[in-house]
Amino acid sequence: MTDTFAPEAEQPPSRRWLGLFLLLVPLLIAGLVFWWGFNRSQPHQFSGSVIQGLSAAPDFTLSSDRGPVSLSDYAGKVVMIYFGYTFCPDVCPTTLADAAAAVDSLSEDDAEDVQLIFVTIDPARDTADRIGEYVRHFDDRFVGLTGTEEEIGSVATLYGIYYRAGEGSEATGYLMEHTATLLVIDQAGNLKIVIPFGVEADAIASDLEYMLR
Amino acid sequence: MRSTWVWSMAVLALLAAACGSGADIEVADVWGRPSPSVATNGAFYMVITNNTEVADHLVAASSPACAAAELHESMMNDGVMGMAQVGPAGIEIPANGQTTLEVGGLHVMCIDKQAEFVAGERFDVTLEFENAGTVEVQAEIKES
Repeated sequence: MTDTFAPEAEQPPSRRWLGLFLLLVPLLIAGLVFWWGFNRSQPHQFSGSVIQGLSAAPDFTLSSDRGPVSLSDYAGKVVMIYFGYTFCPDVCPTTLADAAAAVDSLSEDDAEDVQLIFVTIDPARDTADRIGEYVRHFDDRFVGLTGTEEEIGSVATLYGIYYRAGEGSEATGYLMEHTATLLVIDQAGNLKIVIPFGVEADAIASDLEYMLR
Repeated sequence: MRSTWVWSMAVLALLAAACGSGADIEVADVWGRPSPSVATNGAFYMVITNNTEVADHLVAASSPACAAAELHESMMNDGVMGMAQVGPAGIEIPANGQTTLEVGGLHVMCIDKQAEFVAGERFDVTLEFENAGTVEVQAEIKES
């Protein structure tokens, strides 16, 4: 009945791993905390050109399929404005899809504080109904605006947007050339960033999140 | 000794894989973005590989999903985004090289869409190459 009790020459491997694991976990957590703090202390890198100083975004009113819409209707929100046209097969839908994916990735509260306004530069083709249905395909919170040639022209001028009808083929008819930047206005109503074409959804989302902080 | 043989076989297998199926022209990742019916036009993007020793050119495209199709390129001129039909020479696919048709660049412009561009749909697209002739592909409609 005597148990022969041999002292363990060495710990079973599982025990040794556990010890190592218990030692590493606090180190890992400390590292993560440090990394997170370090990241927070870095200035935010915007994905576009930052407008230095205060540059109040001028108010305007244009037409939507749900009545007149003014920029001032969205006071207190971060507003993205894009000038494009529904006939555009490549650049405009890409930008709208990226902006929609960016808004989609925000928390519900943040998304409520963001508004995208798409202004057509092709009022001859883009009626209020057409532009409205078009933008809501990307995100039903998006707003699409049109107006007369003069109204569109003066809003574009206010925002430094250049556009003109360029030559197309017999099949396409005219094609527009336009400034394809995404303009972002902060919650205080100042033009804050000009995002060039090609910036992807996650970078746009990170700018929006920073501005909503 | 044996391992050398295994290694050389592996290298050969890799080379064979890199050369693909051996077709003169290979077209991969053909896709288009979902768009609402009020959007008159669409675009198809793809990666074209030329496995021959001479440059080839994509000169035309067509699809039952489009009333007409043209080869276009989006480009920035003085900060302004424009789009133009590529010249009569078409889009060059370099010898033993690759050309990518991608967003914001070269693309097949699908003029006057004849079908709903809904995610999951697939459309036949016929590509015409100067040397390789007709290549039939399928474009998938998806987000990116």
